[in-house]
Amino acid sequence: MIQALGGLIEKLLAGRPQRYEGVMGIFYYVDDATEAVRTLRQHGHKNLSVFSPVPHHDIERAMEQGPSLVRWVTFGGAVLGITGGFGLCFYSVSSYPLVVGGKELMSLPPFVVIGYESMILLGALANLLGMLALGRLPALRNKAPYDPRFSEDKIGIWVPCSGNAAVKVQEMMRGHGAEEVQVHA
Amino acid sequence: MAEELTYEPAAGPEDVGETEHVPATITQKSLNDDLLKLIGPPGKWWWTIFLIDLAILAVGGIAVRNQIVHGIGVAGHTRPVMWASYVANFVFWVGIAHCGTLVSAILFLFRSHFRRAVYRVAEAMTVFGVMTAGLFPILHLGRPWFPYWLFPYPSQRQIWPNFRSPLEWDVFAVTTYLTVSSIFFFVGIIPDAAAARDRQKNPFMRLILTLFSFGWNGSNTQWKHFYGAYLYFAALATPLVLSVHSVVSWDFAMANVPGWHSTIFAPYFVAGAIFSGVALVINLLIPIRSAFKLQHIVTTDHIEKLSKLVLLTSTIVTYSYLVEFFLAWYGPNKFERDLFWWRATGHFAWAFWIMFTCNSIIPLLLWFKKVRRSMPVVFVLMLFVNVGMWFERFVIIITSLAHPFDPSTWDINYRMSWTEGAILAGSFAWFFMYFLLFVRLLPAFSVAEIKETLTPPMRRKRA
Repeated sequence: MIQALGGLIEKLLAGRPQRYEGVMGIFYYVDDATEAVRTLRQHGHKNLSVFSPVPHHDIERAMEQGPSLVRWVTFGGAVLGITGGFGLCFYSVSSYPLVVGGKELMSLPPFVVIGYESMILLGALANLLGMLALGRLPALRNKAPYDPRFSEDKIGIWVPCSGNAAVKVQEMMRGHGAEEVQVHA
Repeated sequence: MAEELTYEPAAGPEDVGETEHVPATITQKSLNDDLLKLIGPPGKWWWTIFLIDLAILAVGGIAVRNQIVHGIGVAGHTRPVMWASYVANFVFWVGIAHCGTLVSAILFLFRSHFRRAVYRVAEAMTVFGVMTAGLFPILHLGRPWFPYWLFPYPSQRQIWPNFRSPLEWDVFAVTTYLTVSSIFFFVGIIPDAAAARDRQKNPFMRLILTLFSFGWNGSNTQWKHFYGAYLYFAALATPLVLSVHSVVSWDFAMANVPGWHSTIFAPYFVAGAIFSGVALVINLLIPIRSAFKLQHIVTTDHIEKLSKLVLLTSTIVTYSYLVEFFLAWYGPNKFERDLFWWRATGHFAWAFWIMFTCNSIIPLLLWFKKVRRSMPVVFVLMLFVNVGMWFERFVIIITSLAHPFDPSTWDINYRMSWTEGAILAGSFAWFFMYFLLFVRLLPAFSVAEIKETLTPPMRRKRA
């Protein structure tokens, strides 16, 4: 029973086999991978992806990556939170005006706490949603063949290409110190 | 071929800060092996501790059942002490939770690299600490099945919570803190869960880790948005952590009660929270590093740095105690003066002196480097700190309520009932149950961030 369930989970996790077209180079050294990215981009392969166990600033620079847009999503969430928090307080005291302890109905100082906490709550939720949406998470399908070594100590460079271009890319990767080059066609 | 290579030592002066906390012999591969081995079938020690923990939790559960069946009267609350151990426990556990955000968010913004080896344990402690703290206001309700009345939702009666009450601020602060610290914790786990998933053979564990990893593959796009968001999580969590314990302190400070009505409460509570939280993190890290032989990852340096934080916050807490007494003596309020004198010499003086000894005198030993670097001594010192910090909350709440303005209402009849004692013990079991499961199911150390501490492998030496 447990074994059958285990087998079912394995099948579920493996998913349907996917077809890829391109070249995957596997590197160990960061400077090799950086140079390979730079050369590949100079030769017009702008659509490449890099997989690594940790982010590397050199590779980010070679990829000419701008800053993440997630900050604007976070800002939007925070603005919505602070207006929503204050709005809720104002609405609630105006819809049911009940004086408690002789305090003003529209008491700004205590409402600051609600507005402030709501700002942080919605800012953080927007930050999470922004990260997931922009990073395409949860990733149900990979757009490149994944290798478990990418979460260990290897760097993978994936270039979607075919035919002659794939041969050239393969040569370029080997020339830049790739430990292994896989061609998927 | 290249896998056998170890990293070169730091190439230039700019790298020294990055590598100082991790020995040069550690490689990315060895880190995966060392840190992810914690995830797996537990041994008999783990089971023994877990079963004892569940037994204590069951006793706590019986006490909760007792209170639900017989009513809140089974707790030792006696007029005028109607807030007692439950509120003390609530403040204690929220305080414990603060260390996680300090280590993960504040030290992240300050670029303190030593946090990388210890922050996941601290973050887990935060999430489980808030989950424990959140139980106590509910248990303290006369009818604990109506906690949802605390939340603002449109109802037929059109009644809303009173947003001018500090207790309602608490609802917003604590639920926001639980949500944000959980998000921060689970987002941080994503790359490490992926690393654990990739080496896991057991299909059930692989399923759990796949769910926690969100299908992470470490692409440049994912890393870019991950760190883009991580910075903002830290930036949002930092003011949040400072606000949460300030709001908790205002539960007291907003009330016109001698010993509570003070502007010093917010910073005093925040410092106390960090003090107790860091102490408990040390109490958790020392057994983990020794049980899993991780002394080369969580080094004596890490524990020493955390001990210095405890020493720093102990001095702030002691300063706050002294200022409270000074203001009571120097100020015009005779009720305040009388209360503070009574705290130190009256019926509950024993609790006051336990608090003062554990929080202000015993931590002074941490001025000595030898003490800070001795694991057994630090472990015992931190236990004292946590006992002291629980008593701090006990003293603040119970002495002020037992000794208010009107002498005819003074009473010292409060005794902690077995129900309260069992629920307190159960709360520790509740916390440790989650922690024990966490250590075995999810990466308890941030593999990716510790890898970033290593000098990256370069074929050519940097100029």
